[in-house]
Amino acid sequence: MFADFNATRVILGVLQAFLLVLFAPLITGIMKKVKARTQKRVGASIFQPYYDIIKLIKKDETVSEQSSWVFRLNPWINFVAITTATLFVPVVMAYSPFGIAGDILLILGLYGLARFFLILAGLDVSSVFGGLGSSREMMMSSIVEPAIFIMVLSVAIVYGGTDVSTIVNSAAQSPLLIPTTIFAAISLFIIILAETGRLPFDNPATHLELTMIHEAMVLEYSGKSLALIEWSKSIKQITLLALLINIFVPFGISSDVSALTLGLGLISFVIKAVLFGILIAFLETRVAKWRLFRIPDLIAIAIASSLIGTTIFYIG
Amino acid sequence: MMPQFDLLAICSAILLITTFAVVARRGFMDWLNAYRYQSIALAGVTAIIAFVTGIWEIYIAAILTFVIKAIVIPKVFLRVTGGLAIKNKIETDPYISIRSSVILSALLVVFSYFITEQFPFKFDKVVNAFLPVSISMFLIGIFVMIVRKKTLNQVVGLLILENGLFLFATSLTHGISLIIEVGIFIDVIIGVIISAILMQRINYTFDSMSVANLEKLRDE
Amino acid sequence: MLENSSILQFIVVSYLAGSALSFVPRHGKLSSVLIFVPSMTAAVFEIILSLGVLFGNPLKITITNSSFDLFGFDILVDNISAFFILVIGLVSFAVAMYSIGYAKEYHKKKTSFGFLFNTFLLSMFLVVIANNVFSFLVFWEIMSLTSFFLVIFDHEKSENLKAGLLYLTMTHFGTAFIFGSFLLSSVQTGSFSFDSFRHLENSNSLIKNASFVFALIGFGTKAGMVPFHNWLPKAHPVAPSNVSALMSAVMLKVAIYGLIRITFDFNTVTQEYVWWGVLITLIGAASSVIGVLYAVLENDIKKALAFSSIENIGIIFVGIGLAMVFNAYNLASLAGLALTASMFHVLNHAIFKSLLFMGSGSILFSTKTKNMEFLGGLAKKMPYTSVLFLIGSLSIAGLPPFNGFVSEWLTLQAIMMSSQIPDVLLKVLLGIVILPVALTAGVAAVTAVKIFGISFLSRPRSDSASNAFEVPRTMIAGMTLLALFAISLGVLPLIGINLISLAFDIQAPQRGPFDPISIQNTSGESFANLSILSIIMLLGIVAIGTYLFIRILGKNPQRKIYETWDCGFGKLDQKTQYTAASLSQPIRTIFKFLYKPTLTVNREPHSQSNKFVKKSSSVESKTIDVFELWFYLPATSFCIKFFEKIRRMQTGKVNAYLLYIMIALMLLLIFARFGS
Repeated sequence: MFADFNATRVILGVLQAFLLVLFAPLITGIMKKVKARTQKRVGASIFQPYYDIIKLIKKDETVSEQSSWVFRLNPWINFVAITTATLFVPVVMAYSPFGIAGDILLILGLYGLARFFLILAGLDVSSVFGGLGSSREMMMSSIVEPAIFIMVLSVAIVYGGTDVSTIVNSAAQSPLLIPTTIFAAISLFIIILAETGRLPFDNPATHLELTMIHEAMVLEYSGKSLALIEWSKSIKQITLLALLINIFVPFGISSDVSALTLGLGLISFVIKAVLFGILIAFLETRVAKWRLFRIPDLIAIAIASSLIGTTIFYIG
Repeated sequence: MMPQFDLLAICSAILLITTFAVVARRGFMDWLNAYRYQSIALAGVTAIIAFVTGIWEIYIAAILTFVIKAIVIPKVFLRVTGGLAIKNKIETDPYISIRSSVILSALLVVFSYFITEQFPFKFDKVVNAFLPVSISMFLIGIFVMIVRKKTLNQVVGLLILENGLFLFATSLTHGISLIIEVGIFIDVIIGVIISAILMQRINYTFDSMSVANLEKLRDE
Repeated sequence: MLENSSILQFIVVSYLAGSALSFVPRHGKLSSVLIFVPSMTAAVFEIILSLGVLFGNPLKITITNSSFDLFGFDILVDNISAFFILVIGLVSFAVAMYSIGYAKEYHKKKTSFGFLFNTFLLSMFLVVIANNVFSFLVFWEIMSLTSFFLVIFDHEKSENLKAGLLYLTMTHFGTAFIFGSFLLSSVQTGSFSFDSFRHLENSNSLIKNASFVFALIGFGTKAGMVPFHNWLPKAHPVAPSNVSALMSAVMLKVAIYGLIRITFDFNTVTQEYVWWGVLITLIGAASSVIGVLYAVLENDIKKALAFSSIENIGIIFVGIGLAMVFNAYNLASLAGLALTASMFHVLNHAIFKSLLFMGSGSILFSTKTKNMEFLGGLAKKMPYTSVLFLIGSLSIAGLPPFNGFVSEWLTLQAIMMSSQIPDVLLKVLLGIVILPVALTAGVAAVTAVKIFGISFLSRPRSDSASNAFEVPRTMIAGMTLLALFAISLGVLPLIGINLISLAFDIQAPQRGPFDPISIQNTSGESFANLSILSIIMLLGIVAIGTYLFIRILGKNPQRKIYETWDCGFGKLDQKTQYTAASLSQPIRTIFKFLYKPTLTVNREPHSQSNKFVKKSSSVESKTIDVFELWFYLPATSFCIKFFEKIRRMQTGKVNAYLLYIMIALMLLLIFARFGS
């Protein structure tokens, strides 16, 4: 079990996690740019999220007098949990050395931990906005859970594991499409939109109380706390995209440790990630925010999709 | 155990996805588009069946499917519904909510896969791939007709049901006689035209397109 | 080293001493010490006994003082009992410690409380070691009765009496079924000893099935399984909080123990009986979803926790059911996985649920209310309690690195492993079970968020909440102990898992406590691994890295304390913050078929002439338990009608009674003629 746990792989594993962390704001920037261009605006530079983070870290911070230690601790827990989750996701090589410590359910658990504290922080400041965001996030997170787990089930039975390395390895060795993976990919895509708060679930660009979920919870944050929260949101988004890419379109991922294949893996990952980012941005321009109580319809599609995928794999 | 790339399975997946688009969406244009794509996929599937079995008649059925179902029927529909108010084209208050009907339809798919699991023609690849799909299309079509109130939605449900029947017949018998198929096509067109006229009348009489209103016709 | 039998005697004697000492009339702190220290001693001995049995030999004592074997006491402490004794011991030690401080709430009636408390603990201990029908039922009945008296301990409130009566009825309904199940088994074996029940292989399948269904209903009622759960959310919250902790954490587990005894010890599930497992799994999934969906709506902390007990029992049932299905198909290692998952959840639920009930007891102690709408801001007033409650909440939410996550992870893995069952229908059916279980996990997390967030964070919503104070040290000590268990079982789950594999004879490779839990798939690759210890290290490294990064980049920015942004409208106060009911409103709307929410707006016009100016207006929103509506109300009305019909038989005429006797006699004669 510890046989393949050697130093090179560990270093590569840490490096690919670093890559995700560093690359995350760029994807957010690209998505914002694409959205701006499709709306006939010039838009900010694609590096704007980096400038924002650096600026915010240097700024002073204002904290509500009503808040307790939960509010102050939350950005750190969020960032640390979400960043740790990146360690378990293969990016450029079809293997993550930390697979011996956790699997895809652990990633979801860490996201759950982050969300737990985020909702608490929304409640902590005793403003109406925070409570409103928390309340909606509670609903979203609880109904999205069945969709996630049945998606994981269908992937696990096809590729023989919930260990992300096992999944990506099997996927990379059998790159041909089968119906189950198509259905699972549809549900994962919907789940990503829901989890990262994109349209039609949540509008990441507004501060209107009618439309926002995530932004309402973090309204009271400023300074380095806000930087950590914004950054962790980007990291979560790219981590989930990396999962989608490497499970369902793993072409080009490196399956051994050599400079050439690793380089190829890196290039193909970056291209695919950017393409998916652009796709989501285009989609966001096309659809409007759905009414809150219509969101379960979309989640139901994700559930139905994975359910059919599972059935087809078992019986078809 | 790793299943190989399978064109037939992919096609059945596409058919199912388009069927679900009808269940999951609320607007008339979405249903019509879903139906159109489904018919195109169905034409493709028919062509594949023709290729696999080598019966030339099925190619004609494929072409007919494409022309009639993917082009003519949507055109006819668009024309007859042009004058309808937008409220009649959107399903806002079905008997069973959209989310529940999506989940129930998925369970219907599970059900149809389950009942065809021990089917005697299991060795035949075509039957294997399309029989459960055709049965689920059939069931979902009926299901849509049962739980929706708007007439347009019911007609689309009927069309899906018919697609399912067509797929069922084609995959199981490898093409019934061409004459019968042509007859079925004409049937469908006439069905669509009749339902279009009916819709116009309902709209005219009740100023609404809800089937629930038909209850008012009952003698008290 | 003490003999196991003498340890057992110590336990019984300590509890009896505790019961007796509570009659010593004394006031002040000393008397609560006298009551609860014996319970703590007994708990320590219980832990010693259980470990002694697990690592040593089973203990068997028979006390038969009559030749008639029906009324003998027969006691057997085997590995299964030992595991449940461990659960009882761990929890009751902490609860007893907590009770020393908490007893102030009940200083007037401490005597009866101490007596009932100790007897209750003793009876639970004796139930799990009983080895024949008579002793099991006697101890079971003592357990039910003492817990009933504890439920109605605050008998001044009529609502408590009502809940107690419901509890009494339901628990006897369950006992009747348990008795029926044992009777059916003993008909097969001709003996009332549990030893004979272990050889049921060749008995009639119809009777075996009936016996199983009876046992499921009987133990399920006690465990709070849907649809026999309605007593639980009513009875548990009204008991004193330390008793609620014991009832939810331990007494429900005693019912699980009974079910385990029947399904894993007395019977082995073969393919013919695979539906037993499927039934338990499906009921478990239903219980978990229904329990948690009602829990999230509750504004009463203890009621929400009671509903969440139903949910956790559901998850335990899912594990048990899956283990039975796997056993039926000879998938021993998977059965081991599923049983480990469910038994680990038994242990975890006992720990975090008693922690949370004790936390809610502390809130009640300090603020005199358990309604979340009157709480808030307690994190500043009760810092220690809030941290401990947060640990319990994280654990019940199933989040890493706490113990709840590990058992939920194992349960989910067991569900995924259902893909190895050869039967296609079962594969699909058990695969779909992941949907309710996942929904449960999601809603359970937000329930924990709601309870903690509304009670402990933001502003106090009432005067009693703003006057809250930190609770006495013994109470915090009891809770700290359980919080430590929760953390250590989360970080080193293999301690618990190894104990479980020892107790249930699961062929799991014994590994050290620092190794990861790992599961292989059919082709021998790693299906999944989990090592919380490494994850904590990784989290720590990332946290340090982040801190350094921020410090280096951010130099030293100031932190300013200022009021919450109010959109410029003026001061925010306690009325402007979100309430508990509105927090769960979206979930209520989505699952409205379960709650049938009604909203009534009452507006009183200022005068008859001007209807538009309102004098007062109030909004009332209500939800209904659909089980009451569709299941219990029809059932009770049926019973009432039925018994009214029976009453007509009570004519009061002697002749009629003679007729009944004659009919009974004739039926008996006919039975004697054709029955044999």
